[in-house]
Amino acid sequence: MNVFTADSLCAGYRNKEVLHDIDLAVDEGEFVAIIGPNGAGKSTLLRLLSGYIAPSKGNIHFMGRPVAAYTRREFSRELSVVPQFVNADLSFTVREFGELGLFPHRKILDIGVSPEGETVDAALDAADISHLRDRRMTEISGGERQLAYIARALVQSSRVMLLDEPVSHLDISHAIRIMDVLHAQNRQGTTVITVLHDVNLAAEYCSRIIALKNGRVFGEGEPRDVLTYENVEGLFDTVCIVTENPVSKRPLVYPVPGFIRGN
Amino acid sequence: MKPVIKVVVFITAACGLFVLCMSAGSIFISPLRIPEILSGGPGPVEYRILVDLRLPRILMALVVGASLSVSGVLFQAVLKNPLADPYTTGVSGGAAVGATVAIAFSMSYFLVALLAFGGSLFAVFFVYAVSRYRGLSGTALVLAGIALSVLLSSAVLLVFAFTRAEYVHKALLWLMGDLSIAKYGMVMRMAVVSMLLVGLSFLYRQHLNVISFGDEFAHGLGVSRGDIINLFWIASLLAAISVSLAGIIGFVGLLVPHVMRYIFGPDHNRLIPASAIGGAVFLMAADTLGRMLVPPYDIPAGIVTGFAGGLFFLVLVIRKGGAYQ
Repeated sequence: MNVFTADSLCAGYRNKEVLHDIDLAVDEGEFVAIIGPNGAGKSTLLRLLSGYIAPSKGNIHFMGRPVAAYTRREFSRELSVVPQFVNADLSFTVREFGELGLFPHRKILDIGVSPEGETVDAALDAADISHLRDRRMTEISGGERQLAYIARALVQSSRVMLLDEPVSHLDISHAIRIMDVLHAQNRQGTTVITVLHDVNLAAEYCSRIIALKNGRVFGEGEPRDVLTYENVEGLFDTVCIVTENPVSKRPLVYPVPGFIRGN
Repeated sequence: MKPVIKVVVFITAACGLFVLCMSAGSIFISPLRIPEILSGGPGPVEYRILVDLRLPRILMALVVGASLSVSGVLFQAVLKNPLADPYTTGVSGGAAVGATVAIAFSMSYFLVALLAFGGSLFAVFFVYAVSRYRGLSGTALVLAGIALSVLLSSAVLLVFAFTRAEYVHKALLWLMGDLSIAKYGMVMRMAVVSMLLVGLSFLYRQHLNVISFGDEFAHGLGVSRGDIINLFWIASLLAAISVSLAGIIGFVGLLVPHVMRYIFGPDHNRLIPASAIGGAVFLMAADTLGRMLVPPYDIPAGIVTGFAGGLFFLVLVIRKGGAYQ
Protein backbone atom coordinates (compact mmCIF):
# COMPACT_ATOMS: atom_id res chain seq x y z
CA MET A 1 0.00 0.00 0.00
CA ASN A 2 1.36 3.42 -0.93
CA VAL A 3 1.57 5.85 1.96
CA PHE A 4 2.61 8.72 -0.25
CA THR A 5 2.40 9.15 -3.99
CA ALA A 6 3.38 12.35 -5.70
CA ASP A 7 3.79 13.22 -9.33
CA SER A 8 5.57 16.11 -11.00
CA LEU A 9 5.69 18.19 -7.83
CA CYS A 10 6.97 21.73 -7.99
CA ALA A 11 7.20 23.94 -4.94
CA GLY A 12 9.03 26.88 -3.45
CA TYR A 13 8.75 30.11 -1.54
CA ARG A 14 7.99 33.62 -2.85
CA ASN A 15 8.90 33.65 -6.54
CA LYS A 16 11.63 31.08 -6.09
CA GLU A 17 10.98 27.52 -7.12
CA VAL A 18 12.99 25.11 -4.98
CA LEU A 19 11.72 21.72 -6.15
CA HIS A 20 11.18 20.83 -9.81
CA ASP A 21 9.18 17.88 -11.13
CA ILE A 22 9.57 15.48 -8.25
CA ASP A 23 7.98 12.03 -8.61
CA LEU A 24 7.77 9.99 -5.48
CA ALA A 25 6.17 6.90 -3.98
CA VAL A 26 6.66 5.65 -0.44
CA ASP A 27 5.27 2.28 0.67
CA GLU A 28 3.92 1.46 4.09
CA GLY A 29 6.69 0.19 6.40
CA GLU A 30 9.58 1.79 4.55
CA PHE A 31 12.44 3.63 6.28
CA VAL A 32 13.37 6.36 3.80
CA ALA A 33 16.24 8.82 4.09
CA ILE A 34 16.28 12.05 2.06
CA ILE A 35 19.88 13.12 1.53
CA GLY A 36 21.63 15.80 -0.48
CA PRO A 37 23.69 18.98 -0.17
CA ASN A 38 22.50 22.06 1.69
CA GLY A 39 19.85 23.92 -0.30
CA ALA A 40 18.91 20.87 -2.37
CA GLY A 41 15.28 21.11 -1.21
CA LYS A 42 15.20 18.33 1.39
CA SER A 43 13.32 20.30 4.03
CA THR A 44 10.99 21.69 1.39
CA LEU A 45 10.14 18.18 0.24
CA LEU A 46 9.42 17.17 3.84
CA ARG A 47 7.20 20.23 4.30
CA LEU A 48 5.29 19.31 1.16
CA LEU A 49 4.67 15.82 2.52
CA SER A 50 3.52 17.19 5.88
CA GLY A 51 1.19 19.64 4.14
CA TYR A 52 2.95 22.62 5.75
CA ILE A 53 3.40 24.14 2.30
CA ALA A 54 1.33 23.40 -0.78
CA PRO A 55 2.86 22.42 -4.12
CA SER A 56 2.74 25.06 -6.84
CA LYS A 57 2.24 22.25 -9.34
CA GLY A 58 1.48 18.53 -9.11
CA ASN A 59 -0.40 16.37 -6.62
CA ILE A 60 0.40 14.59 -3.39
CA HIS A 61 -1.76 11.75 -2.17
CA PHE A 62 -1.62 10.29 1.31
CA MET A 63 -3.16 6.82 1.69
CA GLY A 64 -4.85 7.33 -1.65
CA ARG A 65 -6.45 10.67 -0.77
CA PRO A 66 -5.15 14.14 -1.70
CA VAL A 67 -3.32 15.69 1.26
CA ALA A 68 -5.45 18.82 0.92
CA ALA A 69 -8.62 16.74 1.49
CA TYR A 70 -7.68 15.94 5.10
CA THR A 71 -8.51 18.25 7.98
CA ARG A 72 -5.44 19.22 9.98
CA ARG A 73 -6.43 17.14 13.01
CA GLU A 74 -7.35 14.12 10.93
CA PHE A 75 -4.02 14.28 9.13
CA SER A 76 -2.07 14.65 12.39
CA ARG A 77 -3.55 11.42 13.71
CA GLU A 78 -2.02 9.62 10.72
CA LEU A 79 1.25 11.51 10.44
CA SER A 80 3.60 13.05 12.97
CA VAL A 81 6.29 15.61 12.24
CA VAL A 82 9.55 16.37 14.05
CA PRO A 83 10.59 19.74 12.59
CA GLN A 84 14.12 21.02 12.63
CA PHE A 85 13.35 24.12 14.64
CA VAL A 86 11.35 23.95 17.85
CA ASN A 87 11.19 26.76 20.37
CA ALA A 88 13.50 25.57 23.16
CA ASP A 89 12.79 28.38 25.63
CA LEU A 90 9.67 26.96 27.24
CA SER A 91 10.08 25.35 30.62
CA PHE A 92 7.57 22.52 30.20
CA THR A 93 8.64 19.28 31.89
CA VAL A 94 9.62 16.44 29.57
CA ARG A 95 6.41 14.61 30.48
CA GLU A 96 4.22 17.68 29.83
CA PHE A 97 5.98 18.14 26.52
CA GLY A 98 5.33 14.51 25.59
CA GLU A 99 1.65 14.98 26.38
CA LEU A 100 1.40 17.55 23.60
CA GLY A 101 1.48 14.54 21.27
CA LEU A 102 -2.02 13.66 22.45
CA PHE A 103 -3.31 16.93 21.02
CA PRO A 104 -4.76 15.61 17.72
CA HIS A 105 -6.52 12.80 19.62
CA ARG A 106 -8.07 15.03 22.25
CA LYS A 107 -11.33 16.91 22.17
CA ILE A 108 -11.16 20.61 22.88
CA LEU A 109 -13.04 20.22 26.15
CA ASP A 110 -10.88 17.41 27.59
CA ILE A 111 -9.35 18.56 30.84
CA GLY A 112 -6.01 17.62 32.32
CA VAL A 113 -5.29 13.98 33.10
CA SER A 114 -6.40 11.64 30.37
CA PRO A 115 -6.61 7.86 30.10
CA GLU A 116 -3.99 8.01 27.34
CA GLY A 117 -1.39 8.82 30.02
CA GLU A 118 0.09 5.36 29.45
CA THR A 119 0.84 6.29 25.84
CA VAL A 120 3.06 9.09 27.09
CA ASP A 121 4.91 6.88 29.58
CA ALA A 122 5.38 4.19 26.95
CA ALA A 123 6.82 6.73 24.50
CA LEU A 124 9.24 8.13 27.09
CA ASP A 125 10.28 4.54 27.75
CA ALA A 126 10.74 3.80 24.05
CA ALA A 127 12.97 6.87 23.72
CA ASP A 128 14.77 5.83 26.91
CA ILE A 129 14.16 9.14 28.69
CA SER A 130 11.77 8.02 31.45
CA HIS A 131 14.31 9.15 34.03
CA LEU A 132 14.00 12.72 32.70
CA ARG A 133 10.21 12.88 32.90
CA ASP A 134 10.08 15.60 35.56
CA ARG A 135 13.04 17.62 34.30
CA ARG A 136 12.34 20.83 32.42
CA MET A 137 12.91 20.97 28.67
CA THR A 138 15.13 24.03 29.24
CA GLU A 139 17.43 22.12 31.61
CA ILE A 140 18.28 19.01 29.60
CA SER A 141 21.01 18.62 26.97
CA GLY A 142 20.50 19.07 23.23
CA GLY A 143 20.62 15.32 22.67
CA GLU A 144 18.10 14.63 25.39
CA ARG A 145 15.86 17.34 24.01
CA GLN A 146 15.96 15.73 20.57
CA LEU A 147 14.97 12.41 22.16
CA ALA A 148 12.08 14.22 23.83
CA TYR A 149 10.99 15.61 20.43
CA ILE A 150 10.94 12.08 19.10
CA ALA A 151 9.09 10.73 22.13
CA ARG A 152 6.53 13.48 21.60
CA ALA A 153 6.04 12.28 18.03
CA LEU A 154 5.71 8.67 19.23
CA VAL A 155 2.90 9.76 21.55
CA GLN A 156 1.02 10.87 18.46
CA SER A 157 0.82 7.14 17.51
CA SER A 158 0.70 7.87 13.82
CA ARG A 159 1.41 5.39 11.06
CA VAL A 160 3.94 7.71 9.43
CA MET A 161 6.72 9.84 10.96
CA LEU A 162 8.47 12.70 9.16
CA LEU A 163 11.70 14.03 10.63
CA ASP A 164 13.88 16.94 9.54
CA GLU A 165 17.51 16.32 10.47
CA PRO A 166 16.82 14.63 13.79
CA VAL A 167 20.50 13.96 14.53
CA SER A 168 22.30 17.08 13.32
CA HIS A 169 24.51 18.69 16.00
CA LEU A 170 24.44 15.53 18.11
CA ASP A 171 27.33 13.37 19.27
CA ILE A 172 27.63 9.83 17.90
CA SER A 173 26.09 8.22 20.94
CA HIS A 174 22.95 10.37 20.85
CA ALA A 175 22.73 10.06 17.08
CA ILE A 176 22.81 6.27 17.33
CA ARG A 177 20.29 6.27 20.18
CA ILE A 178 17.88 8.33 18.09
CA MET A 179 18.35 6.22 14.98
CA ASP A 180 17.84 3.08 17.10
CA VAL A 181 14.56 4.43 18.42
CA LEU A 182 13.42 5.18 14.88
CA HIS A 183 14.58 1.77 13.73
CA ALA A 184 12.63 0.02 16.49
CA GLN A 185 9.57 2.08 15.62
CA ASN A 186 9.95 1.16 11.96
CA ARG A 187 10.17 -2.54 12.87
CA GLN A 188 6.78 -2.17 14.54
CA GLY A 189 5.30 -1.00 11.29
CA THR A 190 5.68 2.78 11.35
CA THR A 191 6.75 4.29 8.06
CA VAL A 192 9.68 6.65 8.72
CA ILE A 193 10.80 9.37 6.32
CA THR A 194 13.72 11.45 7.52
CA VAL A 195 16.06 14.08 6.18
CA LEU A 196 19.63 13.11 7.09
CA HIS A 197 22.92 14.92 6.57
CA ASP A 198 25.02 11.95 7.53
CA VAL A 199 25.05 9.59 4.54
CA ASN A 200 26.53 6.80 6.65
CA LEU A 201 23.64 6.85 9.08
CA ALA A 202 21.31 6.75 6.08
CA ALA A 203 23.25 3.77 4.73
CA GLU A 204 23.12 1.90 8.02
CA TYR A 205 19.50 2.39 8.94
CA CYS A 206 17.38 3.09 5.91
CA SER A 207 15.73 0.72 3.48
CA ARG A 208 15.74 3.35 0.76
CA ILE A 209 17.53 6.59 0.01
CA ILE A 210 16.24 9.51 -2.03
CA ALA A 211 19.07 11.81 -3.08
CA LEU A 212 18.15 15.39 -4.02
CA LYS A 213 20.32 17.88 -5.83
CA ASN A 214 19.30 21.35 -7.06
CA GLY A 215 15.65 20.54 -6.44
CA ARG A 216 15.55 17.35 -8.51
CA VAL A 217 15.81 13.68 -7.67
CA PHE A 218 19.46 12.81 -8.30
CA GLY A 219 19.08 9.14 -7.52
CA GLU A 220 17.04 6.78 -5.43
CA GLY A 221 16.95 3.17 -4.34
CA GLU A 222 18.58 0.88 -1.80
CA PRO A 223 21.64 2.35 -0.06
CA ARG A 224 24.10 0.06 -1.91
CA ASP A 225 22.71 1.22 -5.27
CA VAL A 226 22.55 4.92 -4.50
CA LEU A 227 25.75 5.31 -2.50
CA THR A 228 28.27 4.41 -5.15
CA TYR A 229 31.30 6.67 -5.21
CA GLU A 230 30.32 8.18 -8.58
CA ASN A 231 26.90 9.08 -7.19
CA VAL A 232 28.20 10.49 -3.93
CA GLU A 233 30.85 12.56 -5.73
CA GLY A 234 28.28 13.84 -8.18
CA LEU A 235 25.77 14.57 -5.45
CA PHE A 236 28.10 16.52 -3.16
CA ASP A 237 30.77 17.60 -5.70
CA THR A 238 33.34 16.20 -3.31
CA VAL A 239 35.89 13.49 -3.86
CA CYS A 240 35.22 10.53 -1.62
CA ILE A 241 35.76 6.84 -1.20
CA VAL A 242 33.03 4.29 -0.69
CA THR A 243 33.81 0.99 1.00
CA GLU A 244 31.76 -1.39 3.09
CA ASN A 245 31.09 -1.45 6.79
CA PRO A 246 32.73 -4.75 7.79
CA VAL A 247 30.04 -5.51 10.36
CA SER A 248 26.80 -4.48 8.68
CA LYS A 249 27.98 -4.90 5.07
CA ARG A 250 26.35 -1.56 4.29
CA PRO A 251 28.14 1.07 2.19
CA LEU A 252 30.50 3.36 4.09
CA VAL A 253 31.41 6.78 2.69
CA TYR A 254 34.39 8.84 3.71
CA PRO A 255 35.65 12.03 2.18
CA VAL A 256 39.14 12.69 0.89
CA PRO A 257 40.35 15.95 2.47
CA GLY A 258 41.41 18.77 0.17
CA PHE A 259 39.53 17.73 -2.95
CA ILE A 260 36.43 19.67 -3.80
CA ARG A 261 35.42 18.76 -7.31
CA GLY A 262 35.74 21.57 -9.78
CA ASN A 263 38.75 23.09 -7.96
CA MET B 1 6.34 25.47 46.93
CA LYS B 2 3.79 22.82 46.02
CA PRO B 3 1.41 23.81 43.20
CA VAL B 4 -1.68 23.52 45.41
CA ILE B 5 -0.18 25.78 48.06
CA LYS B 6 0.82 28.29 45.35
CA VAL B 7 -2.77 28.44 44.12
CA VAL B 8 -4.19 28.84 47.63
CA VAL B 9 -1.70 31.60 48.51
CA PHE B 10 -2.35 33.35 45.20
CA ILE B 11 -6.15 33.33 45.53
CA THR B 12 -6.04 34.35 49.20
CA ALA B 13 -3.75 37.25 48.33
CA ALA B 14 -6.09 38.28 45.50
CA CYS B 15 -9.13 38.31 47.81
CA GLY B 16 -7.18 40.13 50.51
CA LEU B 17 -6.13 42.83 48.06
CA PHE B 18 -9.72 43.25 46.93
CA VAL B 19 -10.83 43.99 50.50
CA LEU B 20 -7.87 46.34 51.02
CA CYS B 21 -8.68 48.25 47.85
CA MET B 22 -12.28 48.67 49.02
CA SER B 23 -10.96 50.10 52.31
CA ALA B 24 -8.27 52.36 50.94
CA GLY B 25 -8.75 55.85 49.58
CA SER B 26 -9.03 59.43 50.69
CA ILE B 27 -11.34 58.16 53.43
CA PHE B 28 -10.17 54.94 55.04
CA ILE B 29 -12.91 52.44 55.84
CA SER B 30 -11.83 49.56 58.07
CA PRO B 31 -12.11 46.18 56.31
CA LEU B 32 -13.88 44.80 59.38
CA ARG B 33 -16.68 47.35 59.04
CA ILE B 34 -17.31 46.74 55.31
CA PRO B 35 -19.80 43.84 55.75
CA GLU B 36 -21.70 45.85 58.36
CA ILE B 37 -21.90 48.96 56.15
CA LEU B 38 -22.96 46.99 53.08
CA SER B 39 -25.67 45.08 54.94
CA GLY B 40 -26.91 48.34 56.47
CA GLY B 41 -28.28 49.46 53.12
CA PRO B 42 -28.10 52.83 51.34
CA GLY B 43 -28.08 56.06 53.27
CA PRO B 44 -24.77 56.60 55.10
CA VAL B 45 -21.92 58.35 53.29
CA GLU B 46 -19.67 55.35 53.74
CA TYR B 47 -22.16 53.13 51.92
CA ARG B 48 -22.23 55.57 49.01
CA ILE B 49 -18.45 55.71 48.91
CA LEU B 50 -18.18 51.93 48.81
CA VAL B 51 -21.01 51.13 46.42
CA ASP B 52 -21.24 54.18 44.16
CA LEU B 53 -17.60 55.25 43.97
CA ARG B 54 -15.19 52.46 44.79
CA LEU B 55 -16.94 49.28 43.71
CA PRO B 56 -17.68 50.20 40.06
CA ARG B 57 -14.17 51.49 39.67
CA ILE B 58 -12.68 48.35 41.20
CA LEU B 59 -14.88 46.13 39.04
CA MET B 60 -13.79 48.05 35.98
CA ALA B 61 -10.14 47.62 36.96
CA LEU B 62 -10.69 43.89 37.47
CA VAL B 63 -12.36 43.43 34.08
CA VAL B 64 -9.90 45.59 32.13
CA GLY B 65 -6.89 44.09 33.92
CA ALA B 66 -8.01 40.52 33.24
CA SER B 67 -8.78 41.29 29.58
CA LEU B 68 -5.44 43.00 28.90
CA SER B 69 -3.47 40.31 30.64
CA VAL B 70 -5.16 37.41 28.83
CA SER B 71 -4.84 39.30 25.56
CA GLY B 72 -1.10 39.54 26.24
CA VAL B 73 -0.87 35.80 26.89
CA LEU B 74 -2.58 35.06 23.57
CA PHE B 75 -0.43 37.48 21.55
CA GLN B 76 2.78 36.15 23.11
CA ALA B 77 1.80 32.59 22.15
CA VAL B 78 0.47 33.37 18.68
CA LEU B 79 3.38 35.63 17.72
CA LYS B 80 5.91 33.50 19.64
CA ASN B 81 7.38 36.77 20.83
CA PRO B 82 7.82 37.35 24.56
CA LEU B 83 7.63 41.11 24.00
CA ALA B 84 4.23 41.04 22.30
CA ASP B 85 1.49 42.78 24.24
CA PRO B 86 -2.17 43.69 23.70
CA TYR B 87 -1.12 46.82 21.83
CA THR B 88 1.31 45.05 19.48
CA THR B 89 -1.19 45.28 16.65
CA GLY B 90 -1.58 49.04 16.97
CA VAL B 91 -4.89 48.68 18.83
CA SER B 92 -3.99 51.47 21.24
CA GLY B 93 -2.98 53.87 18.48
CA GLY B 94 -6.23 53.33 16.61
CA ALA B 95 -8.25 53.80 19.77
CA ALA B 96 -6.28 56.93 20.64
CA VAL B 97 -7.09 58.58 17.30
CA GLY B 98 -10.77 57.65 17.58
CA ALA B 99 -11.07 58.90 21.14
CA THR B 100 -9.08 62.08 20.55
CA VAL B 101 -11.24 63.07 17.59
CA ALA B 102 -14.40 62.34 19.60
CA ILE B 103 -13.14 64.38 22.56
CA ALA B 104 -11.99 67.25 20.33
CA PHE B 105 -15.56 67.52 19.04
CA SER B 106 -16.81 67.21 22.65
CA MET B 107 -18.87 64.13 21.96
CA SER B 108 -20.54 62.08 24.69
CA TYR B 109 -18.68 59.40 26.63
CA PHE B 110 -20.53 56.70 24.71
CA LEU B 111 -19.37 58.12 21.37
CA VAL B 112 -15.81 58.44 22.63
CA ALA B 113 -15.82 54.74 23.48
CA LEU B 114 -17.48 53.87 20.18
CA LEU B 115 -14.99 55.83 18.07
CA ALA B 116 -12.11 54.42 20.10
CA PHE B 117 -13.42 50.92 19.47
CA GLY B 118 -13.82 51.65 15.76
CA GLY B 119 -10.29 53.07 15.60
CA SER B 120 -8.76 50.06 17.30
CA LEU B 121 -10.60 47.63 15.03
CA PHE B 122 -9.40 49.59 12.02
CA ALA B 123 -5.82 49.22 13.25
CA VAL B 124 -6.25 45.48 13.79
CA PHE B 125 -7.76 44.97 10.33
CA PHE B 126 -4.94 46.90 8.75
CA VAL B 127 -2.19 44.99 10.55
CA TYR B 128 -3.97 41.70 9.94
CA ALA B 129 -4.25 42.44 6.21
CA VAL B 130 -0.55 43.28 5.96
CA SER B 131 0.58 40.14 7.77
CA ARG B 132 -1.92 38.06 5.81
CA TYR B 133 -0.37 39.39 2.62
CA ARG B 134 3.02 38.25 3.90
CA GLY B 135 1.66 34.80 4.71
CA LEU B 136 0.60 35.53 8.32
CA SER B 137 4.14 35.92 9.55
CA GLY B 138 4.53 37.00 13.15
CA THR B 139 7.43 39.32 12.41
CA ALA B 140 5.54 41.15 9.65
CA LEU B 141 2.65 41.56 12.05
CA VAL B 142 4.78 43.05 14.83
CA LEU B 143 6.57 45.39 12.40
CA ALA B 144 3.32 46.54 10.77
CA GLY B 145 1.91 47.14 14.26
CA ILE B 146 4.88 49.29 15.24
CA ALA B 147 4.76 51.28 11.98
CA LEU B 148 1.04 51.88 12.31
CA SER B 149 1.40 52.92 15.97
CA VAL B 150 3.91 55.62 15.01
CA LEU B 151 1.62 56.87 12.24
CA LEU B 152 -1.37 56.96 14.54
CA SER B 153 0.38 58.73 17.40
CA SER B 154 1.45 61.41 14.92
CA ALA B 155 -2.20 61.65 13.90
CA VAL B 156 -3.17 62.19 17.55
CA LEU B 157 -0.64 65.02 17.87
CA LEU B 158 -1.96 66.51 14.64
CA VAL B 159 -5.49 66.57 16.06
CA PHE B 160 -4.10 68.19 19.22
CA ALA B 161 -2.57 70.96 17.13
CA PHE B 162 -6.05 72.02 15.99
CA THR B 163 -7.85 71.53 19.29
CA ARG B 164 -8.65 73.89 22.17
CA ALA B 165 -6.44 73.39 25.26
CA GLU B 166 -9.20 72.17 27.58
CA TYR B 167 -10.11 69.37 25.19
CA VAL B 168 -6.46 68.48 24.75
CA HIS B 169 -6.24 68.06 28.52
CA LYS B 170 -9.35 65.88 28.54
CA ALA B 171 -7.98 63.75 25.73
CA LEU B 172 -4.63 63.43 27.52
CA LEU B 173 -6.40 62.15 30.61
CA TRP B 174 -8.13 59.55 28.45
CA LEU B 175 -4.84 58.57 26.83
CA MET B 176 -3.33 57.96 30.26
CA GLY B 177 -5.88 55.31 31.07
CA ASP B 178 -8.38 56.67 33.55
CA LEU B 179 -10.78 54.39 35.42
CA SER B 180 -12.61 57.10 37.36
CA ILE B 181 -15.33 57.22 34.72
CA ALA B 182 -16.57 53.71 35.54
CA LYS B 183 -20.35 53.18 35.64
CA TYR B 184 -22.08 49.94 36.61
CA GLY B 185 -24.06 49.42 33.40
CA MET B 186 -21.04 49.76 31.17
CA VAL B 187 -18.80 47.70 33.44
CA MET B 188 -21.32 44.87 33.58
CA ARG B 189 -21.78 44.74 29.82
CA MET B 190 -18.06 44.75 29.33
CA ALA B 191 -17.61 42.08 31.98
CA VAL B 192 -19.96 39.71 30.15
CA VAL B 193 -18.16 40.12 26.82
CA SER B 194 -14.73 39.86 28.41
CA MET B 195 -15.62 36.75 30.39
CA LEU B 196 -16.89 35.13 27.20
CA LEU B 197 -13.67 35.93 25.36
CA VAL B 198 -11.48 34.80 28.28
CA GLY B 199 -13.51 31.59 28.48
CA LEU B 200 -13.04 31.06 24.77
CA SER B 201 -9.27 31.51 25.14
CA PHE B 202 -9.32 28.92 27.90
CA LEU B 203 -10.93 26.42 25.51
CA TYR B 204 -7.95 27.00 23.25
CA ARG B 205 -5.42 26.31 26.02
CA GLN B 206 -4.08 23.12 24.42
CA HIS B 207 -3.74 24.90 21.08
CA LEU B 208 -1.82 27.68 22.78
CA ASN B 209 0.62 25.22 24.36
CA VAL B 210 1.27 23.63 21.00
CA ILE B 211 1.52 26.96 19.13
CA SER B 212 4.14 28.29 21.55
CA PHE B 213 6.63 25.75 20.23
CA GLY B 214 6.57 27.05 16.67
CA ASP B 215 4.45 27.16 13.53
CA GLU B 216 5.72 24.02 11.90
CA PHE B 217 5.52 22.14 15.18
CA ALA B 218 1.93 23.24 15.73
CA HIS B 219 0.98 22.45 12.16
CA GLY B 220 2.35 18.92 12.55
CA LEU B 221 0.14 18.42 15.58
CA GLY B 222 -3.03 19.47 13.82
CA VAL B 223 -3.39 23.18 14.63
CA SER B 224 -4.94 24.82 11.59
CA ARG B 225 -4.43 28.32 10.30
CA GLY B 226 -8.06 28.99 11.22
CA ASP B 227 -7.31 28.25 14.89
CA ILE B 228 -4.50 30.80 14.84
CA ILE B 229 -6.68 33.42 13.16
CA ASN B 230 -9.41 32.84 15.76
CA LEU B 231 -6.91 33.34 18.57
CA PHE B 232 -5.60 36.51 16.92
CA TRP B 233 -9.12 37.96 16.84
CA ILE B 234 -9.97 36.93 20.39
CA ALA B 235 -6.79 38.65 21.60
CA SER B 236 -7.48 41.76 19.51
CA LEU B 237 -11.09 42.06 20.67
CA LEU B 238 -10.06 41.78 24.33
CA ALA B 239 -7.55 44.59 23.80
CA ALA B 240 -9.94 46.73 21.74
CA ILE B 241 -12.73 46.52 24.31
CA SER B 242 -10.38 47.38 27.17
CA VAL B 243 -8.73 50.29 25.45
CA SER B 244 -11.95 51.80 24.17
CA LEU B 245 -13.56 51.84 27.61
CA ALA B 246 -10.61 52.54 29.89
CA GLY B 247 -8.01 54.25 27.71
CA ILE B 248 -4.45 53.14 27.20
CA ILE B 249 -3.19 51.18 30.16
CA GLY B 250 0.28 49.92 29.40
CA PHE B 251 2.39 47.08 30.68
CA VAL B 252 -0.39 44.93 32.21
CA GLY B 253 -0.45 42.61 29.21
CA LEU B 254 3.32 42.31 29.15
CA LEU B 255 4.20 42.21 32.83
CA VAL B 256 1.47 40.02 34.30
CA PRO B 257 1.82 37.05 31.92
CA HIS B 258 5.59 37.04 32.48
CA VAL B 259 5.25 37.01 36.25
CA MET B 260 2.56 34.32 36.07
CA ARG B 261 4.72 32.21 33.79
CA TYR B 262 7.51 32.57 36.30
CA ILE B 263 5.27 31.44 39.17
CA PHE B 264 2.99 28.87 37.53
CA GLY B 265 5.01 27.71 34.50
CA PRO B 266 4.25 27.99 30.77
CA ASP B 267 1.27 25.59 30.60
CA HIS B 268 -1.75 27.62 29.40
CA ASN B 269 -4.03 25.39 31.42
CA ARG B 270 -2.78 27.30 34.46
CA LEU B 271 -1.41 30.39 32.73
CA ILE B 272 -4.75 31.68 31.42
CA PRO B 273 -6.69 31.58 34.71
CA ALA B 274 -3.64 32.81 36.63
CA SER B 275 -3.09 35.71 34.23
CA ALA B 276 -6.78 36.65 34.30
CA ILE B 277 -6.76 36.85 38.09
CA GLY B 278 -3.27 38.35 38.28
CA GLY B 279 -4.06 41.04 35.69
CA ALA B 280 -7.34 41.91 37.40
CA VAL B 281 -5.72 42.28 40.81
CA PHE B 282 -2.68 44.13 39.49
CA LEU B 283 -4.74 46.82 37.79
CA MET B 284 -7.05 47.12 40.80
CA ALA B 285 -4.04 47.65 43.07
CA ALA B 286 -2.47 50.11 40.63
CA ASP B 287 -5.66 52.14 40.39
CA THR B 288 -6.10 52.16 44.17
CA LEU B 289 -2.52 53.33 44.55
CA GLY B 290 -3.30 56.11 42.09
CA ARG B 291 -6.26 57.17 44.21
CA MET B 292 -4.18 57.19 47.42
CA LEU B 293 -0.78 58.62 46.49
CA VAL B 294 -1.47 62.36 46.31
CA PRO B 295 -5.00 63.06 47.52
CA PRO B 296 -7.16 64.69 46.42
CA TYR B 297 -5.65 64.10 42.96
CA ASP B 298 -6.40 60.95 41.05
CA ILE B 299 -3.36 59.62 39.25
CA PRO B 300 -4.64 57.72 36.17
CA ALA B 301 -4.10 53.98 36.44
CA GLY B 302 -2.10 53.93 33.21
CA ILE B 303 0.59 56.10 34.79
CA VAL B 304 0.84 53.89 37.87
CA THR B 305 1.07 50.69 35.80
CA GLY B 306 3.69 52.38 33.66
CA PHE B 307 5.86 53.25 36.65
CA ALA B 308 5.28 50.12 38.72
CA GLY B 309 5.34 47.78 35.78
CA GLY B 310 8.38 49.37 34.15
CA LEU B 311 10.44 49.30 37.35
CA PHE B 312 9.40 45.79 38.27
CA PHE B 313 10.11 44.55 34.78
CA LEU B 314 13.54 46.16 34.78
CA VAL B 315 14.42 44.45 38.07
CA LEU B 316 13.19 41.14 36.68
CA VAL B 317 15.28 41.48 33.54
CA ILE B 318 18.40 42.46 35.49
CA ARG B 319 18.00 39.57 37.93
CA LYS B 320 16.90 36.87 35.52
CA GLY B 321 18.25 37.94 32.14
CA GLY B 322 16.20 36.18 29.49
CA ALA B 323 15.65 33.06 31.58
CA TYR B 324 12.33 33.88 33.21
CA GLN B 325 10.22 32.85 30.25
